[in-house]
Amino acid sequence: MASLRLPIATDQLELTAFERSDTEALGSYLCNRDAQRYIDGLARDKQDVEAVLRQMREQVNLRRPGDTLTLAMRKNTDKELVGHVCLRWSDATAGQGELRFVLHPRHTGRGYAHEAIAAMLDLAFDHYNIHRVFMRCDGRNHHSAKLLEQIGMRLEAHYREHALFQGEWDEELHFAILDREWRPSSKIRHFPPRVRVA
Amino acid sequence: MVLFPDYPLTTPRLRLRPFKRGDVDAVYDYRRRDVVALYLFDVALSREECALAVQQRTGQVALTEEGDKIILAAQHKESGSVIGEVSLIWRKQDARQVELGWIFHPDWQGMGYASEAAECLLNLAFEEGDMHRAMARCGTQNVTSWRLMERLGMRREAHFREHSLFKGKWDEEYIYAILRREWRQSRGDGVLASMNP
Repeated sequence: MASLRLPIATDQLELTAFERSDTEALGSYLCNRDAQRYIDGLARDKQDVEAVLRQMREQVNLRRPGDTLTLAMRKNTDKELVGHVCLRWSDATAGQGELRFVLHPRHTGRGYAHEAIAAMLDLAFDHYNIHRVFMRCDGRNHHSAKLLEQIGMRLEAHYREHALFQGEWDEELHFAILDREWRPSSKIRHFPPRVRVA
Repeated sequence: MVLFPDYPLTTPRLRLRPFKRGDVDAVYDYRRRDVVALYLFDVALSREECALAVQQRTGQVALTEEGDKIILAAQHKESGSVIGEVSLIWRKQDARQVELGWIFHPDWQGMGYASEAAECLLNLAFEEGDMHRAMARCGTQNVTSWRLMERLGMRREAHFREHSLFKGKWDEEYIYAILRREWRQSRGDGVLASMNP
């Protein structure tokens, strides 16, 4: 497998590895109550953030099942950190991967998450030859659910009260997409604009 | 919460009771068949494997901690034959989740025995077992199994496609589930339940 080339460029973002100097910027969304609403592992202080950062700085490639690749989402204009995306290689024999993301609440609504997820799907299917990528989101998190649908993922599961999450009954959605379902649309985007024949 | 039911559990036509060493031949008579193994994680079993399975099942009679299983023989009252088995697995202790399963002899399928047994087990899980949600799953091609889940009032919560390999092929799976309040409502206790929120 060819080594991973970073950064990955999208229209508005660069996906890169995390730097040691990202602590403060990472903390500004990781400790944000709104950002924490639907994520596991609640960071509270600088120490927590540093521990998360240390871990994510080691997640730079997928070498064996169970590995996670974490990339920082930075605006390509001023390189500001706006969030991150993670691809976990969950199963090697069946070629399964899970994608997750966190976006700073200050930077929502600009299409950043959409761009980052699309780039990670390209990476998962083209670079890592993964067969199926799935994503999970809370049933009340309708912004995420809408986003995943727009990207072309299928709603595969809607679990109701199947677990406890942050002290409440959890409602969880699973979205998934297969390599053959992703590739056609990703190729179409690269077609040159059609010349009008009038 | 520990669930140790008073055996046997009874339905109109069946007795659900723990396995005994003498059940090996009856179990072998359905587990040896490819048609039964088709949708199970196991392949068709030899008699020795059935003996070992029965040996294990004799102790699987209570739920005392997460991961425990209750696996019971479904015995036809009238003829005394063991015609299949049902299982209840405690998946999550804090969220009170169980998984339900069944395997029946092909000669005894299509007569509502699995329905009776599954209903009895759901009742046990929700009432005596104080569970919150019960789920069951099967391959999408196993039509008789998911039809039964629908008859039990379970909801299709998941349809996974090619999420894993099953016996060398891509797997496609349904997950069905029902919450305790939905179960009670379907049993006609809805009015009472809504009066005591």
